Amino acid sequence: MRYDSVTDVIGGTPLVRIDAAVHGLRNIDLFAKMELFNPFGSVKDRAAWNMVRHRLAGAAERAETVVELSSGNTAKALAVIAGMHGLPFRSVTNRMRVPEIKDLLLLLGAQIDELPGQSECLDPTDTDDPLTRMYHTVSAAGGGYLHTDQYFNDLNVEAHVRGTGPEIIADLDGRAPDYFIACVGTAGSSTGVARVLREHDPEVTVVGLVAEKADFIPGIRDIDEVHEVGLFDPDVYDTIEAVSSDEAIDGLLTLVRRCGTLAGPTGGGAYQGAVRYLRRLDAGLTGRRTAVFIVCDRVESYMSYLRERRPALFQQPDRTHSVRTLTAEDLAATRTIGVSDAQEWIAKENPLVVDLRSPFAYRALHIDRSINIVDDLFAEMLHGGLPFGRRQPVLLVCPVGEKSASYAALLTRMGHPDVRSLAGGVIAWRDAGAELVRD
Amino acid sequence: MAPKLQPRVDGDLGSLLDSAAFLHQIVDALGSPLNVVLPDQLARNVQGFRDVYQARHLGGGIFFAHKANRSRALIRALAATEAGIDVASLAELQHALGAGFGLDRIMATGPKSREFLWLAARAGVIVNADSTTELTELAGIVAAYRLPRVRLMARLSGFASTGTNVMTRASRFGVPAARLATLWETLEKHQDQVEFLGVAYHLDTVGLPEKAVALEGCLHAMDEAQQRGLRPRAIDIGGGFGVSYLDDGRQWEAWTSELTGAVLGKRPPITWNGHGYGLRNEGGTVRGTLSVYPAHRTTSGPAYLDRLLGTESAAQRRALGTLLLDSLYDLHVEPGRALLDQCGAVLMRVEDVRDDLVRVAGNSADVALEQHGVLMDPVLVPRGAPAGSEPAGVYLAGNLCLEADLLTRRQVYLPARPRPGDLLVFVNTAGYLMDFSAGNALMQPTARTVAARRDRGGWRWCLDDQYWPVTGREETG
Repeated sequence: MRYDSVTDVIGGTPLVRIDAAVHGLRNIDLFAKMELFNPFGSVKDRAAWNMVRHRLAGAAERAETVVELSSGNTAKALAVIAGMHGLPFRSVTNRMRVPEIKDLLLLLGAQIDELPGQSECLDPTDTDDPLTRMYHTVSAAGGGYLHTDQYFNDLNVEAHVRGTGPEIIADLDGRAPDYFIACVGTAGSSTGVARVLREHDPEVTVVGLVAEKADFIPGIRDIDEVHEVGLFDPDVYDTIEAVSSDEAIDGLLTLVRRCGTLAGPTGGGAYQGAVRYLRRLDAGLTGRRTAVFIVCDRVESYMSYLRERRPALFQQPDRTHSVRTLTAEDLAATRTIGVSDAQEWIAKENPLVVDLRSPFAYRALHIDRSINIVDDLFAEMLHGGLPFGRRQPVLLVCPVGEKSASYAALLTRMGHPDVRSLAGGVIAWRDAGAELVRD
Repeated sequence: MAPKLQPRVDGDLGSLLDSAAFLHQIVDALGSPLNVVLPDQLARNVQGFRDVYQARHLGGGIFFAHKANRSRALIRALAATEAGIDVASLAELQHALGAGFGLDRIMATGPKSREFLWLAARAGVIVNADSTTELTELAGIVAAYRLPRVRLMARLSGFASTGTNVMTRASRFGVPAARLATLWETLEKHQDQVEFLGVAYHLDTVGLPEKAVALEGCLHAMDEAQQRGLRPRAIDIGGGFGVSYLDDGRQWEAWTSELTGAVLGKRPPITWNGHGYGLRNEGGTVRGTLSVYPAHRTTSGPAYLDRLLGTESAAQRRALGTLLLDSLYDLHVEPGRALLDQCGAVLMRVEDVRDDLVRVAGNSADVALEQHGVLMDPVLVPRGAPAGSEPAGVYLAGNLCLEADLLTRRQVYLPARPRPGDLLVFVNTAGYLMDFSAGNALMQPTARTVAARRDRGGWRWCLDDQYWPVTGREETG
């Protein structure tokens, strides 16, 4: 297929059946609307493009900056589209919580403004919060901004009324599904799709999924936050249920490991929420039913999110040459040396002095003629074997002599005959009045 | 009925609440309102912060922010620990000197009067300078009276972030981090009058990213100072570690949800006159921001400090605490609220109960819940047998002849309808909520303060002013 612009590729995503052996529903056919196939990676490509497509030319003439209150996929799509049209993009957020998305936005050339946190010593009379102030600034006409305003912009809903909704009906041979399940973020996709499905068949059941309070699933709002969304209308949904981040990750794992669908946590939450809801109905059904949920985006951007919540998924076997494998005997065999003995030893035998502190601290002050290998890097080097010859005596130093002692133990275990750790570290060295230099 | 917000109560404070007869006895004797402080708890809280230091091998001082409470007993008890004190006025400095703090353990902070600077310099405490102008004024005093060199920290503000633009509220205090050259010049010029110890910041925010940016900015400022030939060795990161007031996060979540519902008109109000605490209804959508203290926090106090120190520097890709240690710097902190966690309560007698309005002998300046946006229920301590087991949602009116004098605009939840003579105990109020703004409007009495300590299963108490750490049993102990 040939296209003139990558924005022409937005939409037209496939509807893929989830294997019944995976979801276990006997009377319901479950389909995933694969929004992760959009060119910039998410369902938000549709809304982003629809909100700016007719305004880009004017914005370019007025040299405006595209701005959105977003910390995720909308910002990503808008950053790409703005870049394609030579416009700067600025994302204002108080919840930049996924480091990979932050890095990606910076890579795309976006400016990210993180709003300040709440006062610790509160002034309750100051109800004019930074977000509201920012909102007024970027919304003012002639202020130099093209503000897409995704939480209040009907063009966000329209993108799904014209695209996502009709596509689902077409792919189900002209029928609306019996159940439609979607996570609620800006409420754009759920509202738009629900409107189309209901017009086609008023009997369709729409389930909105929100995050549990005090929990965090990227791209989903919690039950209070949805009320701050202008596009959110509770009457759109037959029912609103909460999903936890734990459930979202369970769903994500099912999709990525068993369904060949590399979904992010929002898609995982939608799957898990859908199955949980449908399972309650399944046993009582007599005829066949159809259900559709949305897979919003891809998994790759959420590695740190997953690592934080399920470290076990990433566990690596311990490597042999690691301080983590040291035994009490290894540590007991460590040779430590006090400051004055160390000074004498340096003068007499000229050992290699390795300073394990950060380059930043080393640069400020260090023991004369020492070399700096920061501990993380040193650990990496040791995985490969001894980094210096056995006949070269070595003095390891760190701030208080604790890390250096474990590395000395490790080097000794690896067969080095004369490695010592400076007792009390550089702090003891300094406090003893020994010389520290700055090169 | 309004949903509950039950306060978190630990240790001594819990057993104090179980001692109903004792509480009634002291209010009968000393009147309502009455402040109770628990000096022993303060020492335990100091240790909580020190544990974080020890786990990270860091040295440096824990300076209690005096402004959070005026009690003499608390300050004298603190003097008996290893902690220091952060004083922000002439009178607070005098108070600290009189309580027995050594000169290394007193840090003078905030904007300072000439008299405050004089006494700080004369006594020889550490001065945390708020601006280069103040530094110059201090140096002038030291030179004019030929005083010994004063140890000095310089407060900075307006730090730049890398990567993303981490925004922060503009501060009235501190030397702008972008104009450090002036600071170094001033320090060099006055090196006979001041000994430069390091840099400081204090940010009024619960936001960790802003504090991480500031700490990283301080590390860079220290590096710049080293390059200028100065030898600073400490960074003071101020306070703002916070307290979690509520026992159960779900209650906080439920209450905030109900408030949203009430603002949208979906349920009857749960606040006086439908007050929204910053939220408002615009065409069915909630606008504004909930402007109250986050009463339930998963990370606060020492744990918050630990989290900050564990945060990676964006530029160095290494934990900030590790960078501090690598650089051999001492870390000073100035917690106020967090050190006073579970250290006291305000007692008030119920005067009158009409429908859902309970009037108490005390007012909104005596327990500043509303002023500081802290939302939690008081604890009911009945005078005799409880009035019944039917819970009640009530509003709390104070003793001022003013429509606005409500102790909190929240409808509070009580396990039973109170009766005149019962006590309402506002627990965990020692930090900022106890006497920060107490006055005697309408010539109503201001609260007396008593210090209480557990003693062989019972309670001993004395007037705040009578408290000293010595018990008289030292020889036998």
